[in-house]
Amino acid sequence: MKRGFRRRLPGVLVLLLTCSVHAQDPAEYFKQNCVSCHTIGGGRLTGPDLQNVSERQDAEWLVRFISNPKAMIDSGDPYALELLDQSRGVVMPTPQNITPAFARELVALIQEESAKEESQFRGLQISDAPFTAMDIARGKAVFEGRVKLTNGGPACVSCHNTAGLGGLEGGRLGPDLTLVFERLEGRKGLAAWLLNPATVTMQSVFSEQPLQQDEILPLVAYFEDRSKKSAIAPANTASFRFFLLGLFGVIVALALFDILWKKRLRSVRRTQVLDAANEVLHGR
Amino acid sequence: MDVRSQVSMVFHLDKCIGCHTCSIACKNVWTDRKGTEYMWWNNVETKPGTGYPTRWEDQDKYAGGWTRRRDGKIELKSTGKGKIVFNIFHNPHMPSMDDYYEPWTYDYQNLFNAPEGPDQPTARPISMITGEHIDVESGPNWDDDLGGSPVYAKNDPNLEGLSDIEREQLMAIERLVFFYFPRICNHCLNPACVAACPSGAIYKRGEDGIVLIDQKRCRAWRACVSACPYKKSYYNWHSGKSEKCILCFPRLETGQAPACFHSCVGRIRYLGVLLYDASRIEEIAKLPDEELIDAQRSMILDPHDPDVIAAARKNGVHVSVIESAQISPVYKFVKEWKVALPPHIEYRTLPNLFYVPPMSPVMAASNGATVNHVSSDFFHDIDDSRVPLQFLANLLAGGQTGKVRYALRKQRAVRLYRRAETVGDVSKEDAAQALKDADTSVDEVEAIYKLTSLCRFEDRFVIPPMHREEAIEMIDDPHERKAAAGFGFMESPKRGA
Repeated sequence: MKRGFRRRLPGVLVLLLTCSVHAQDPAEYFKQNCVSCHTIGGGRLTGPDLQNVSERQDAEWLVRFISNPKAMIDSGDPYALELLDQSRGVVMPTPQNITPAFARELVALIQEESAKEESQFRGLQISDAPFTAMDIARGKAVFEGRVKLTNGGPACVSCHNTAGLGGLEGGRLGPDLTLVFERLEGRKGLAAWLLNPATVTMQSVFSEQPLQQDEILPLVAYFEDRSKKSAIAPANTASFRFFLLGLFGVIVALALFDILWKKRLRSVRRTQVLDAANEVLHGR
Repeated sequence: MDVRSQVSMVFHLDKCIGCHTCSIACKNVWTDRKGTEYMWWNNVETKPGTGYPTRWEDQDKYAGGWTRRRDGKIELKSTGKGKIVFNIFHNPHMPSMDDYYEPWTYDYQNLFNAPEGPDQPTARPISMITGEHIDVESGPNWDDDLGGSPVYAKNDPNLEGLSDIEREQLMAIERLVFFYFPRICNHCLNPACVAACPSGAIYKRGEDGIVLIDQKRCRAWRACVSACPYKKSYYNWHSGKSEKCILCFPRLETGQAPACFHSCVGRIRYLGVLLYDASRIEEIAKLPDEELIDAQRSMILDPHDPDVIAAARKNGVHVSVIESAQISPVYKFVKEWKVALPPHIEYRTLPNLFYVPPMSPVMAASNGATVNHVSSDFFHDIDDSRVPLQFLANLLAGGQTGKVRYALRKQRAVRLYRRAETVGDVSKEDAAQALKDADTSVDEVEAIYKLTSLCRFEDRFVIPPMHREEAIEMIDDPHERKAAAGFGFMESPKRGA
C-alpha cells in the first residue's frame, strides 16, 4: 500500500500544480474582471466590444496586449494607440494574476462566445427611451436605502453622496456620485459598472451580494437624472451643517441637564453674600 | 434585645467659651497633611450663624441625611440604588470649595526678601491649593462671634419658624446674643455616610461604634460627603480618599481622651459608654419627628438592669465595658437627667453626640429711655431668654421647644438651689419651688452641679477598656503581627484602587 502511494505521488503533484496555476475558470474570470468595461456583442463600454476581436488582431498580439496593456501602449504599437484614443485615454489595467497561457485561454473564450447567437457577456441592455419619473423615484429610494437591496448589500447612501439628498446628505467615504453618469459615459457603462464594480472597495462589498437588474435600472435612471439636473458636483456644505447640528445638540443637552439636575447644589456661600450685598445696595 | 456598646459624647454648651482650642488640637494631630488643609474634623461655630461649610444645616441644598417617605420608610436624600446610576459621573449635591473655603497661608518670605521700597513689606495670603496669591473671601469660622452677621447669622436655617420681631431682636442692641456650637462627627447609630458609600469603605466599629473610613477601600465616590447631614466627612484632594473624625481611636485604645476632649479649656466635653438596643434602630429611625427624641432615649438601656447586663454579656460586651457604662457621664446627662439633646434629630441619623443647651445671658431691663444693664432678675424665666426657645429647639430638639425648656429649667433650678445654698440671696422656698417646677430633686441637682462644675478628669472621661488584645486575636496572631509590623504606614493612603 505504501509503495502504491509512492508510485502515484508524481501524478498527484502534477495535478496539484496545474490546479494552482489555472485555479480559475476563464468564464468566471472574465465575469469578474472584464465585464465592467467590455461586452461580447453588447456594444462598446469604456473598452471596445470584443465580439470577433480575433478577426481584428491575431491571437499573439491579443495575448501580449492582455498580459500588459500599458507596455503595449508605451511601445507605440499603432493599434494599441488607436484603442487608447477610442477609450478617451483610459488605459486598460493589467488583469490580475495573468499569465500568457491563461490569456490564451481568455482569447479562446472570447472567440467561442463571439460565435454564439447571444453571448452570456452581452451585458445589460438598456433602451434609449427616456426614464419615467417613477424609475427615478425608485432609484432614489434604492440609493437612499429606503428600498432594501435584494441580496443584502449596503445602501449607496452609506458611503456616497449626490446632489439634492437634503438633510445630512450621504456618506463621505466614497466619491460623490452626482456626475457619475457622465464619468462612466452613459447608461451602458454605468449599468455595466453597477453589475460588476471594478474597484477593490466596491468589489469587496458587492461581489458576494451583487446588485440585481431591477435595482440597477432605477439607479441608472436616478444617476442620469442627477447628472442632467446639476452641471457640477455640489460643494461640501454638510460639514458646516454638521457643526451647526452639533452645536444645537450640545445646547439642547446642556438645557436638558440643567432641567434634569435642577436641584443640584449650586454655590451656597457666594450666593448668600451676593444676596446680602444686593439687599444693602437696593434696599430690597 | 441586641445590646451593643457605643462610645458617646456630651458637649455642655453652657460652658463653651468658643476658644477653638479643640479645633487646633485636632488639626495639629490629624489634619495638618497635604490635602487636608480645609478639613476641620472638629470645628466651633457661632450660633446664630451659618457654620462650616456655609449653611450645612440647609438640607434642601446639601441633601444630607435621611428623609421619611409617605409610606413611613426612610431613604437617603442624596443618593440611592437608582439615583446613583444617573449621578455616576457627577454628584449633584457636592459642596464646592467655595462653600468650605480656599485654604491659605501667607507669603512670609516676602517679609525678609522684599526689595527696598517706600512701604513696609507685607505677607500676602497664598492659596494652599494653587500656590497663587488670593483674596481671602471665607474661612472655617468666618462668622465667628457674629462677624458679618447680616450675611451669615441672618441666614441661619435654625431661624425658621421665628417671627420677624424675634429675628430682629436677636440682632438688636442690648438684646444681641450668641453662643458657641462645637461640632465633631456624631458617630451616629444610623449613619447616612455608611449607608451611602458605594464601595462599602465606611464602617461602624462593632466594639465601640466609632465610624471609620477604610482608606484602602475608599474609591473617592464622595457619596459620604453629600450624605452626611452634618458635613463631617471630607474629601482629601491629595490622597483621593475621604476622611473624617476618628474619635482619636488610637488615643481611646490607650486610655486617653480624644485630643479635642483632652484639650478643652472650658471642660465642656464628656465621654462615656452607652449600652443600646441595636435591634430597634430601624424602627426608631422611621418614627415621626416629634417622637424621635423620646424614642432615642428609650433605646439607650440601663446598664444596671440585670437583663441588660446579661444580654450584653451574651453579645460579647466585656464586663469592664459594662462597668464603664454604669459610671458613664453621658448616660446621666442624656438618660437620667434628660438635659442633653441630640443635634438635628430630624436628620434621622441618631447621633451619639448630645448637647446641653446653653443658658442665655441675663436680660437687660429697659426703664423708659434708660437701659439697666444689671437686671434685678438674674434667673429670669426660661421662656424670656434672649435666645428664643424655638431657635434652640430647631437646633437641638427637632423643633420641640418642650424638650429644650425642660433641660433649661433643670439647669436654672441647679443655679437657684446653689445660690440659695452658698450666697443666700435666693430664698430656700424659691429654690424648692424651682426644683419642683423643673421636675428634679435635691440629690439630682447636687449631682448635676458636681458633674458640671466640680468634675475631675476621670469624671468627664470614662473611657472603656478597648480590649484590643482580644480584638486582634480574632484576625491575627498577636506575636506574628508584632514581629511583622514596623513603624509608619504599611500601606500609605494613595489615590486609586
